[in-house]
Amino acid sequence: MKVELEKSFPLPAPAEAAWALLQDVEAVAGCMPGARITERVDATHYKGTVTVKLGPASMAFRGEVEVKEVDAAARALHLAGRGMDSTGTSGATMDLHARVEAIDAATCRLVGRSEVSVSGKAATFGGRLMQGVAEQVLQQFVANFVQRLPAVAVGAAEASAAAQEPPPQRELNGLALVWAMLRDWLHQLFGRRRT
Amino acid sequence: MGDMSELQQREDALQGMGTSLLRKEDARFIRGQGSYIDDIKLPGMLFGALVRSPYAHARIKGIAKAKALACPGVVAVLTADDLKPVKLHWMPTLGGDVQAVLADQKVCFQLQEVAMVLASDRYAAADGAALVEVDYEELPAIVDPKQSMVPDAPVIREDIAEKKEVGHGPRTHPNHIFTWEAGDKAAADAAFAGAAVTVREEILNPRVHPCPLETCGCVASFSKATGNLTVYLTSQAPHLVRTVLAMLSGIPESKIRVVGGDIGGGFGNKVPVYPGYVVAIVASIVTGVPVKWIESRIDNISTTGFARDYHGIGELAADADGRIKGLRFTALADHGAFNSHVSATKFPAGLFSICTGSYAIPNAYCRVDAVYTNKAPGGVAYRCSLRVTEAVYLIERMIDVLAQKLGIDKAEIRRRNFVQKEQFPYTTSLGWTLDSGDYVPALEKVLKAVDYEGLRREQAEKRAKGELMGIGLSTFTEIVGAGPTKACDILGIGLFDSCEIRVHPTGGVIARLGTMSQGQGHATTYAQIIATELGLPASDIVVEEGDTDKAPYGAGTWGSRSTPVSGAATAKAARKIKDKARQIAAHLLEVGEGDLEWEVDRFTVKGNPGQAKTMKELCMAAHTGNLPEGMEQGLNAVAYYDPPNLTYPFGAYVCVVDVDRFTGEVKVRRFYALDDCGTRINPMIIEGQIHGGLTEAFAVALGQQIPFDENGNHLGNSLMDYFLPTAVETPKWETDHTVTPSPHHPLGAKGVAESPHVGGIPCISNAVIDAFAHLGVTHMDMPHSAWRVWQQCHALGIDRH
Repeated sequence: MKVELEKSFPLPAPAEAAWALLQDVEAVAGCMPGARITERVDATHYKGTVTVKLGPASMAFRGEVEVKEVDAAARALHLAGRGMDSTGTSGATMDLHARVEAIDAATCRLVGRSEVSVSGKAATFGGRLMQGVAEQVLQQFVANFVQRLPAVAVGAAEASAAAQEPPPQRELNGLALVWAMLRDWLHQLFGRRRT
Repeated sequence: MGDMSELQQREDALQGMGTSLLRKEDARFIRGQGSYIDDIKLPGMLFGALVRSPYAHARIKGIAKAKALACPGVVAVLTADDLKPVKLHWMPTLGGDVQAVLADQKVCFQLQEVAMVLASDRYAAADGAALVEVDYEELPAIVDPKQSMVPDAPVIREDIAEKKEVGHGPRTHPNHIFTWEAGDKAAADAAFAGAAVTVREEILNPRVHPCPLETCGCVASFSKATGNLTVYLTSQAPHLVRTVLAMLSGIPESKIRVVGGDIGGGFGNKVPVYPGYVVAIVASIVTGVPVKWIESRIDNISTTGFARDYHGIGELAADADGRIKGLRFTALADHGAFNSHVSATKFPAGLFSICTGSYAIPNAYCRVDAVYTNKAPGGVAYRCSLRVTEAVYLIERMIDVLAQKLGIDKAEIRRRNFVQKEQFPYTTSLGWTLDSGDYVPALEKVLKAVDYEGLRREQAEKRAKGELMGIGLSTFTEIVGAGPTKACDILGIGLFDSCEIRVHPTGGVIARLGTMSQGQGHATTYAQIIATELGLPASDIVVEEGDTDKAPYGAGTWGSRSTPVSGAATAKAARKIKDKARQIAAHLLEVGEGDLEWEVDRFTVKGNPGQAKTMKELCMAAHTGNLPEGMEQGLNAVAYYDPPNLTYPFGAYVCVVDVDRFTGEVKVRRFYALDDCGTRINPMIIEGQIHGGLTEAFAVALGQQIPFDENGNHLGNSLMDYFLPTAVETPKWETDHTVTPSPHHPLGAKGVAESPHVGGIPCISNAVIDAFAHLGVTHMDMPHSAWRVWQQCHALGIDRH
């Protein structure tokens, strides 16, 4: 079960600030709903967890993240992750290409292309929801990312203080996701009818 | 002769063959007092939970047990490495292959068994299983069998990559299992070359699962003191399982006892030997305490005994009048990761060559190529003999395709091709000898019952209004009752079956058989055979099956073989007893045996009906000293029956559907099923079996399917997705019958429970496709769910106002 997503989000910050934050894997992970980096193995390898809650069922994926490539000139990043849920019944892999493009001095654009595939129970039960879930996750991620941006932009001292704070520990809430997907779907439906 | 009403009363009191005796076993079932595997609780029993792979194809780089072992209640964690010392990490399959009991270095299908956690209770075992850490390296998976044999396809079975064959002839690719063919290819090709008309269609029988209500499981109990192994297990074939266990474990077969208990539905799913059983047995042998393993619903649908996955191509050649001159059927068979197909040794593609159906087809050729994929293994016959559903589906679909091409009515084309009554026994061009049949009256009876002409008129009117109505026909011939030992064996053991009858002094009878009821009503049907044969009331006859310490050897219940094989053994054993009783009666009445005649429940002296000995009297007499010179006491017999041929029940079905062209919903308006299974032993049980088989046919035709994504992930292995029809969805079934006895069966009986499944699926498909026939549609693959049928409507542009 594979989902490919390509998205671009405008950010209210200079490109350099966004790029600085993007390179901070632990901070980036903190923006990911339900995700947390638990261990830094070396400069390019991390271990972490992602918790997903769908109704009464909770799945905790643990896995590894590898920074495959950092291209400072292009402000581009390539991350790969793989993990398995703690009961060993589901697996997930992610391949993410992200880059920051300047729009003007004060704003930029975050462009991401990712491929997520899941196997096992997550695919069996979650497969048909994946596209929707992935889009919601991405939107929540960007919202969190934007929240963190001023901290980087304001100054180096405050930024490092912010980075030391524990990342926001939010579970990916399945019911909220379903509601958001339903809302999006209704938008699409009525949007189509008008055309 | 007594007067007729008295005779009738005596006959009625027996409740023998031909009466709809209520099922003896239902008294315990409706009280909830059946005894199923999970009801077995032994002192000190451990519970096993399997750790399964989330990947369809992956290398195992390591298994960490420490966290699981630290879990409260967990006693042990077994992996392939732990089974290696006893050489049980792999096991031979009934298909001539080997299968990993626990994954050895690699997993080849999703949810494959990787480890078993043993714990003091079910919950601790499940908790422990969640803590076993397996490090996988995912490999590319093959899901589509058409990709299995491409030159650079990933090799699924590295363990046998170098083997030139796996039980059934040469292999041409590491993912190839066997190629099997039957018939005369040159003759068939010649028939096609010279034919006025030919048709060809690609026809899929999708992967489905029998999905019995009770999942699989076992309780294994090994006594270190006695060396005895007792296994309570969900098996349709307990004696074969005992033999397999003896071969696998080295324990003398006399020290192994397999007990079937009550089985909550089998439908083929409970014929194979599954890894879970083997691990539980090894665990009990190692620990010396009983070990229980019970499958979950998801595990059952995902990993045990699927059915079908046959990717067929059907071709017919005919003259301009629709008389079939040639048949060529081929199939690509997806056997999953291990060839654990349940098939008689000489029939790797089962009885697929029954695909000439009810028709006299002079030239035929069929071929099956079986391949490995990264899907669950264990192809079983889902309520049919292996591959008969696929074969019958092909011929019953193709004859419709031919009718459409020629513009001949679908009933008429069948009439033109039927094997005629006087041709029986009829040997088909693929080598089967159909024992008896009378197809024309069966079809005409059904057409008249449903007013076929009227239905066609109604269909024409509806089509004129743009509405979709379909009429499906199926005039199938089944092949059941494996089988003659000269042709049929499993592991070298012939597929005979057996019955042992003991008659007690007061006329009570216990009969034990090598078959195994899973809900078919054996305790009633066999008792009725004995009642009629021996003149003792069915109410006093007890039937026992499934305990290998008690019953004589037999191959079990599958392929509708119980009545054709064990029913015959029962009649034979009863006749041995009756012969002895006759000798005792002659002795007591002081007449010659030839002076006696049988009258319902007694021997009377010819010409002097007042002089008689009832069977009850003879039962007591057999246990006295007043016996013919040299005769031993007792009235016991055992019979082993090796059938001279299989039996060939047939039927004529009509299905009428209405299709909503806007939603694609198919509604079965009417289904009329006429079955001919020869002599009918218990009409009520037959009708119940037909209702069940039709309901499973409805399930397959309209909804069942096990889909996978491109990585081999299951996308429908729970009852949220997998269609199991309830009374709400199931249409009303109308049943009817004709009686054409089998000439070689002692009672003239044929098997029946699978006919409605085998014949019902093409009937419903034919009805759905017939609804689109006027729009040029010749085939649509199952399942005909609303979504898929709507796609057809949409493609035709008829789903808009």
